[in-house]
Amino acid sequence: MDKKLTILVCIKQVPDSNAVVHINDGMPEYDDKTVYVINRYDEYALEEALQLKDRGLTLHIHTVSVGPARVQKALRRSLEMGADEAYHILIDGDTINTPDIIAQAIIQFAQHRYDIIFTGVMSEDAMNQQTGQLIAAMTGYNYATGVTELSLNKNTITITRELDAQESMVYELQFPCVICVQSSINKPRYPSLSNVLRARKQEIVMIKPDIMIPNKKTNCYFTVPQKTTQCQFIEGNVSQQVSQLYTILHKHAVL
Amino acid sequence: MSILVIADVKNQTVNPSTLELVTIAQKIAKQKNLPVNLLIPFGNIGGDSYCASEFKTYIVNLNIEQYSAPTLVKHISNIIREVDATYIIGLHTPFTIDYVPSLSVGINAQCISQIHSLETRESITVIRGSHAGKLDQHIVINETPPIIITILPGSFEPYTISEMQNNNITTIDIPEVDNRVNCEFITKEMTDKSLDEADVIVGAGKGIGSQENVSLVYEFAKVFPHSAVAGSRIVCDYGWLPYSKQIGITGKSISPKVYIACAISGSSQHVAGIKGAKTIIAINKDPYAPIFNVSHYGVVADIFEFIPQFIDFVNAKRR
Repeated sequence: MDKKLTILVCIKQVPDSNAVVHINDGMPEYDDKTVYVINRYDEYALEEALQLKDRGLTLHIHTVSVGPARVQKALRRSLEMGADEAYHILIDGDTINTPDIIAQAIIQFAQHRYDIIFTGVMSEDAMNQQTGQLIAAMTGYNYATGVTELSLNKNTITITRELDAQESMVYELQFPCVICVQSSINKPRYPSLSNVLRARKQEIVMIKPDIMIPNKKTNCYFTVPQKTTQCQFIEGNVSQQVSQLYTILHKHAVL
Repeated sequence: MSILVIADVKNQTVNPSTLELVTIAQKIAKQKNLPVNLLIPFGNIGGDSYCASEFKTYIVNLNIEQYSAPTLVKHISNIIREVDATYIIGLHTPFTIDYVPSLSVGINAQCISQIHSLETRESITVIRGSHAGKLDQHIVINETPPIIITILPGSFEPYTISEMQNNNITTIDIPEVDNRVNCEFITKEMTDKSLDEADVIVGAGKGIGSQENVSLVYEFAKVFPHSAVAGSRIVCDYGWLPYSKQIGITGKSISPKVYIACAISGSSQHVAGIKGAKTIIAINKDPYAPIFNVSHYGVVADIFEFIPQFIDFVNAKRR
């Protein structure tokens, strides 16, 4: 690599997997007790950037998150893991169906200052799988999604993209580029004590974006998922459930 | 105005699940009275067998080895404008999701991804899983197209082409294309064939809690004569099972007689891979786990209580 890389890692804060969500007048509402964490796929993206830092290849790693005040906790965690600076783009309200707005906000902040913009392949809650692609399409950057391996060359980056359990694609990207990371790429680290102490003192810079947020709620509503099969629940205590399931499996001739 | 189906690619050929998209296209076509076009994004992926009298087929004369998302987006955007496509339909797979959302920028469309159902009444409503699969999001499509949608594989029956019709194919030549090979495809040899051959597959989810507990799932599977163990993506990410045992969009699709999901919540990514199972049984202590929505039998129980008792019960029967 000829020069040191400036890297931006996009981080979404999502409810953890135990979160309870209700529907109020067709709209989702998380329980007050909900615990929010860094989107798992973004953690892999951050780890990949940190591994480049460990090898002395980065000038700096910035993290950015779009959302309400609570997302600062996720940004703090990114500093603890080893990011150099963290930026919070303040947008209130539910942004679950607005990957285009999130992409615009990130581009406005990034101002073409970065060689690589990392994102996770998707968010665990909304699962749109679009934000990285939209950042790339709106800026004209090169990009790849579902990336499970990357290596730096003199002026390019070679990526491996996973298509399924058996097949992948390998190709080169020019800088600047957007890389959407798939989970098998690495094992995210736990923050070291020294980084935790350092992060405590660091400022998270808050930015108010100059973006119109359209009211998309007019054409959308939420429900509890419909059942595609009629699930027959096996009732009773565990030993009754065991004997009933045995009978069912016996009838299906697999036991 | 027209409907454009974009063919997906698997093993460097047209993914047969593309025909599931034709089913949806025909549904919208009937409602909106629009013609259907099928776009094969590359010239060397066997697209010429996807022709019929019911739709026009366009083949982009690019080689798949020339794949680059920005290039493909540029060419497909031109075709979208040419056929005045107002509904653009792609399959929600790692291959297609790489470039289809990017189409929305150039043609000023909204892209709605990961759809599993579609309702056609006065207006069209698409339904997608959201909030980690805990809710369904219904989006009513306004009459301000174009709109791009990506559909989860296995959500619709594949369309049956009544009669192949070769003269309904148009090849689109790309001028001044850079012919260099851009990318390489790597295929891993799967030595583990157990998931293809098993009658019963026992799936392990995040709820098994640790690598040590994988042995419990293996013991459970051993109860059945022709069985195998598999897992959700997160279980493989944690290293509890190898990636060769992963079921879902980014893993394998299975079709055993019986699939038993143990402590699997049932994200749409996982569920897309189990649709082929004849009978689905879910064991989960959370009665609201989305996996029960696609299961034939549900057991609300803690797997650490249920599985050992089940194994003992079967052993006692055999004695």
